[in-house]
This record gives sequence, C-alpha cells and structure tokens, in this order.
Amino acid sequence: MSARSIPVTVWTSARRSMVQRAGLAMNATFYAIVVAVLAGLWRAAALSNDGTIAGYSAAAITWYIATSEAAIVSLNTRLIVDIGTDVVSGAVVVELLRPVSVVRQRVLAEVGRVLPRLYICALTGAALCLLVGGYPPNPAAAVLAVPSLVLAVCCNIVAQHAFASVSFWLRESSATWFLYQKFVFMLGGVLIPLEVLPVWLRHAALATPFPSMGYAPARLASGHFQPELLLMQMGWLLVLCGVAAVLFNRGEHRLEVVGG
Amino acid sequence: MNGYVATLRSAIAEASSNRRALIFQMGVMIVNDVAWIGFWVLFFGKAGTVHGWDTSRIVLLQSVLTTAGGLTLGVLSNARHLSALALDGRLDAVLSLPVHPLGHLLVRRLEPTNLGDVVFGVVLFAVAGHPTPGRTVVFVGVSLASVVLLTSFLVLTGSLSFFAGRSDGGELGFNAILLLGNYPLDLFGGAARVMLYTVIPAAFVATVPAQLIIRFDAGRAAILGGVTATFAIAALTVFNAGLRRYASGSTWTRA
Repeated sequence: MSARSIPVTVWTSARRSMVQRAGLAMNATFYAIVVAVLAGLWRAAALSNDGTIAGYSAAAITWYIATSEAAIVSLNTRLIVDIGTDVVSGAVVVELLRPVSVVRQRVLAEVGRVLPRLYICALTGAALCLLVGGYPPNPAAAVLAVPSLVLAVCCNIVAQHAFASVSFWLRESSATWFLYQKFVFMLGGVLIPLEVLPVWLRHAALATPFPSMGYAPARLASGHFQPELLLMQMGWLLVLCGVAAVLFNRGEHRLEVVGG
Repeated sequence: MNGYVATLRSAIAEASSNRRALIFQMGVMIVNDVAWIGFWVLFFGKAGTVHGWDTSRIVLLQSVLTTAGGLTLGVLSNARHLSALALDGRLDAVLSLPVHPLGHLLVRRLEPTNLGDVVFGVVLFAVAGHPTPGRTVVFVGVSLASVVLLTSFLVLTGSLSFFAGRSDGGELGFNAILLLGNYPLDLFGGAARVMLYTVIPAAFVATVPAQLIIRFDAGRAAILGGVTATFAIAALTVFNAGLRRYASGSTWTRA
C-alpha cells in the first residue's frame, strides 16, 4: 500500500460519512444529551463541594466531560462487535483477496468515518461549554486538546481492532466489547476523571492505553497544560498499531487454514 | 393468552439451549453492572450527598433500573428491534398468526445478556436495598410499572419508523431513555426537567420508582400509573396505525 493511498482512503470514507447528514445530526443530538447529563452531574457535585471536585472547578469539569465524551460518542461504539460479526460470518475473507492489509484498510476507513462526527461533536461540545461553563480554563492547553482528541479516537479505533481480533479464535466478540467498554469508561477517565480514582487504581490505569482514549484530551481541555500527554498518546498509538497488526495477521492465517 | 405463553416458553427453551453461553453472557452483564455501581460509589465517595442523593439511594435506583431494563431488553427484547423489523419488511410471518402481532413480537425472542441485569437488580435490592415486606412489594410493583413504561416507550419510538421510513429516531430514543434513566433526575432543572418527565419519560423509569421505595406516596404512585398507562395506550395506538402502512419485504422469517 503506497503512502498516497492513506489520505485517499481516509478522505473517501470521510466523504461517505459527511453525506449521511441525518446520522451526523442524530450523533450530535445524542452527544449533546450525554454531555448535558454528565456535565450536569459533575457540576452539581462540584457546586456541592465548595465549587471544586478532585481539583476540577465546575467550568473545568464541564470542559473535561465535553471533551472525553466527544472522543467516545463520535466513534462506532459497537465496532468490536461489528468486526467480530464480519470475522465469524466469514465476510472478512473477501477483504483478504485485496492486495492491502485488512486491518490497516479497516482502521483508515474507520478513522475517516469518525472524523466528521468528531468535528461536529467537538463544535457542539465547545458551544455547550461556552454556554454553561464559560471559556476554556487555559487556552494554550485547549489548543493542544485538538490534536489530542484526534489521537484519542485513533488509539481507540486501533485498540478496538486489536481486541476484536480475539473473535478469530473465540468466534464471539460481544463479551470482549462489554469488557473493553468498561475499561475505556472507567480506566480511560471518560465517565470519571482519573483523579477521582483511588491512588493505586489511578496508577494502574495510567499504565494502560485507556487514558490515551479519553483522559488525555479531556485533561488538556480542562486547563492542564501537559504536552507530555500527547507523547503518551503517540507512544500508545504505535504500540497498539503493532499489536493489532500482529493479531490480525495471525487471525487471518488461522482463517486461511481453518476456514471462515 | 395461551399463544403468548407458548411463544414465551419456546423463546426460553431457545435461549437456554446453550446453557454455558447463557450463563457466560449473563455473567458479563453482571460484571458490567458491578462496574457501573463502582462508578457511583466512587462518585458519591468524592462528592458526598448531591441534591439529596447518596450511595444508598442510587443503589435503589440502579436496582429498579437494572431489573426493569433487564426484563424489557431481555424478555421483551424485540421492543428494541421493532423499527429494524418494520423497515426490513420482516413482519410477514407474524401477521398470519391468530394473535396480536405486537404481543407475539414482544415475547418471541429472549436476549440472554440482559437477563443478567434482572439477576443483578434483584440481588442488589436484596443485599443493599434494605428489603422489608413493604419495600419489597413496592419494589416489585414499581419495577413492573417501569417495564411497561420502558417497553411502551420503545414500541412507540420504534413504531415511528413505519411513518418516517428510518430508524434513527427509535435508536436515539432507546439510547436516551436508558442513559437518562441511570441518573437521579433531581439534578436537573428547567426545560430539561420538564422534558425528562414528559417527552422522554426517563424520570418515571427509575428516579420516581426509587423515590417510591424510599418513601411511598399514593399520589406519586398514581401519577406513575397514569403515565405508564398513557404511554402503553399511545404505543399500541401508534403501532396499530403504523402496521397499516407496513410494506412486506417478502421475507418469511420468525421475526
């Protein structure tokens, strides 16, 4: 696969996603509901505790939730199940006939599909935050949150492919999806900032790739200027790409031997 | 009625044919629910009491929600898939049966994963809900009302697909009511609060039932009953009206 084909795949998929305006609108509406509910919860908690909770002010926690949820809601949350279905039904076999890596092609297409939704969610989230919480607590950190958000969805998409590859062996992926979701929501700091977790659990979470998928951009958007979070995300993205490639490669080999 | 019972019995037999898979899937959902309780414990551990809600109250809310949600999505699982069935033209086989199509559809298929919710909800109430005979009766009553309300809402939003020709609204309604049902709605005010007590009746799915278990109030219980009956009638009316617009997909399935 040439380097030129990467932006072509992403762009083609993104255009397909942009045409589905009703889908984009529904996604943005659902995102707005999620942010309104969760941010409302955390703001109420902050305001009941002298204006801060776990070191976040009401405004900061609003930006945190809006960003972490944008990184999640813009994704196809059942991607693991969808990949598993394709593997178990044998649909993935058709893709093996192409002269390109199946996992690379799938990841690039998914990134392209998600980017327009991420853009709409981010705009909606920023508007909600400005309305409810005011300006970002630290503009410089908020600027870093933009590339961090893109890295977060990339990490998540690649990780979902890595986890979904178990269906080559287990012939089932719904249980993996449930567990993966919980890891992202709890250890990834999506529902709950990592600072709220007990210290031992926070350290354990930070040793996993999940904070790269929600906590990193949310922490930046909530006013914490920590450029090292971007480096952490890039590192995990490389690792996850390697793991997904190896697992898919072995899975495909097994499919060729055992049959789909 | 015998027809529905027989259908439900065959659905149970189908779901339990692979007992190991059934137990595994239920177990996964229980782990999922435990993680959610973990979230609330951490939240209230940090936040203390928020707008009158604390860990013990949220546990009651979660026990009602998981029990009712599990019964709706586990036992009456087609409530969630109604719009897909209608849009794909997969209702043909049901229309030829000597029972009402909606009743048959609702009991036709069990979703094993969500049955784990029922087990978790009942156990959670038994362990952490301070059950007394009175509270247990209220728990059973409000959980059943919540099942009817949740099912009616899903049927209502799913039936809109007969008219709209797409399933986006049904999916949004499904996700919205389950998401909003998870939170104590006393946290919200203004227009959001009005919406959660009317258009998306999430408040009546778990918050109001939990409040009734904590302190029973006949007036509030009557309102819950009234809202539930209203949504049930609306769902049946819209489904029947939508069915007249149904276009066959010439697909002979078991729906």
